[in-house]
Amino acid sequence: MTYRILSHTADSGIEATAPTLPDLIAVLAQGMFDLMAPVEPGEGAEQVEIEVTSGSVEDLVVDVLSDLLFESESTDLLFGDFVVAMTGATGARVAARGVPISKTGMTGPPIKAVTYHDLAVEERDDGWYGRVIFDV
Amino acid sequence: MELKRVSDVVWEVPRTGGMRVPGRIFASDELMEVVLEDRSVEQVANVAHLPGIVEASMAMPDIHWGYGFPIGGVAAMRVSDGVVSPGGVGFDICCGVRLIASSFTEADFEARRDTVMGELDRRIPRGPGKGAIAPGSIVEEVLADGAAAAVRHGYGWPDDLDRCEERGTSKGAKPEEISDKALTRGRDQLGSLGAGNHFLEIQVVDEIVDPGAAEAFGLAEGMVVVMIHCGSRGLGHQTCTDHVRLMGDAMRRHGITVPDRQLACVPIGSDEGASYLGAMAAASNFAWANRHILAHETRQAFATAFGVSDTETGMRLVFDVAHNLAKIETHMIDGASTEVCVHRKGATRAFGPGHPDLPEDLQEWGQPVLVPGSMGTASWVLRGMEGNPAFGSAAHGAGRLMSRKKASRQAPGREVRAELEEAGISVRPLSVGLLSEEAPYAYKDVDVVADVCERANLAARVARVRPLGVVKG
Repeated sequence: MTYRILSHTADSGIEATAPTLPDLIAVLAQGMFDLMAPVEPGEGAEQVEIEVTSGSVEDLVVDVLSDLLFESESTDLLFGDFVVAMTGATGARVAARGVPISKTGMTGPPIKAVTYHDLAVEERDDGWYGRVIFDV
Repeated sequence: MELKRVSDVVWEVPRTGGMRVPGRIFASDELMEVVLEDRSVEQVANVAHLPGIVEASMAMPDIHWGYGFPIGGVAAMRVSDGVVSPGGVGFDICCGVRLIASSFTEADFEARRDTVMGELDRRIPRGPGKGAIAPGSIVEEVLADGAAAAVRHGYGWPDDLDRCEERGTSKGAKPEEISDKALTRGRDQLGSLGAGNHFLEIQVVDEIVDPGAAEAFGLAEGMVVVMIHCGSRGLGHQTCTDHVRLMGDAMRRHGITVPDRQLACVPIGSDEGASYLGAMAAASNFAWANRHILAHETRQAFATAFGVSDTETGMRLVFDVAHNLAKIETHMIDGASTEVCVHRKGATRAFGPGHPDLPEDLQEWGQPVLVPGSMGTASWVLRGMEGNPAFGSAAHGAGRLMSRKKASRQAPGREVRAELEEAGISVRPLSVGLLSEEAPYAYKDVDVVADVCERANLAARVARVRPLGVVKG
């Protein structure tokens, strides 16, 4: 499973496909943090866990990514190794491992927020598709 | 999408479908060629769908593709029956620019270049995450009183406030509407630059176009000035995130639909609208104080580098102006004086001569309008003009020309840095690799943008400044 970086004039975005919705959330989260500074698998020593319930699968993706951004900025950690478990049709528990920002080299500007612009989270014949634009 | 030329530098997007007003883009032929390469015209049309919008959905000469509103978007909604949209302000609430004059010349700076840059490199917190000049304990006070609170705590000079939009304190701030998450993000960021396209740049006044206005603003040819571009940091970003989310549900209750979810909005007079406007004002106070504290630290850096007192630096504030804000203002609409909520998303307030909101010493000349270019090129100081056709608004920058992805592939950051240093511009980035996304080739020609602002009667050129050194996240 992988994501593709989208072209956007002022900001940045990613799209991805995955077999399941939790897989999609995991790869979108990975893509969001990779835009800032890739964390190698197994590199993170600090664990974080969030639980989110939203009104729709689109809102769930935005809410999960937004909460991960909050955790990142409030702890000065960058995350990888995402493990996502659904708690309902539009709810998820997400665990991740973090590396201190001071120990990483930034490959992209910090992401300020997750937007709803051009947001897509869809179940298709061959799995799940997601697209998210970020404000940088 | 159809576009009609209305005049030399004005284009109209005719009303179609659910558009309540036409779109109006201020651009030359040269700029319009670039505008048509991305989806910004579509965004101008989308904004025209918002309830209560009056006259036109407008875009400034530096228009480019944003999220929801285009960057460079201006839209005014009647307070009586219109909506407020956090997307029309942006996540970086009250991002803006501050320009500081000085008593130093370019020769003075050259003699102490490395010392000045070293002091700034050491003193200016920047980049992602935590790290700031001011203690987090004053954040609540700052949310209520903005730059005035910073002055009370010893940052900056009291008369700086005379040359600040809103005197550095937004009216109607409601700190209680700022969430705990937003407070957590912002607590350790008061007095920090951030990253991305934010910067602290040392410049020299290269060309004076309007001597009278320049003198009134406090500028002279050959003067070293400092320009600071940043906003409300994580506190603002989280505040916008919180309220866009709330408005998504609230819109349904108010029977509002929008063509782009990022245009989420509620009636200005609703509880949700009042909550957002109060939170936005509080977050903007954080931004006013943030730039104020960074300016104070910059004065200290120059004072130390030159071995003088901060008063002897002569580093008086020229002006501080926001370019991401929504404000309740009174404008003439169809011949009637009307209260409207003016959204400026990547657009600068540009009040003309005689406006009561301007300080007395600027009444004759209009408000300074600050238009940064890019690291390797120039920036412009303009002034507001009478009869501005965009609710007293003008451009906020050069405007991006290419995506970050494309820009980062064009040249590595170290090459961009080398070229800037060769051109006599000292660069102190926290991350060299990120320089390519902000390289001069990623931006439009700011001279063209400034020229179009003048031709469109948005703002007139006063002085051109060029960079000598830049500090970035």
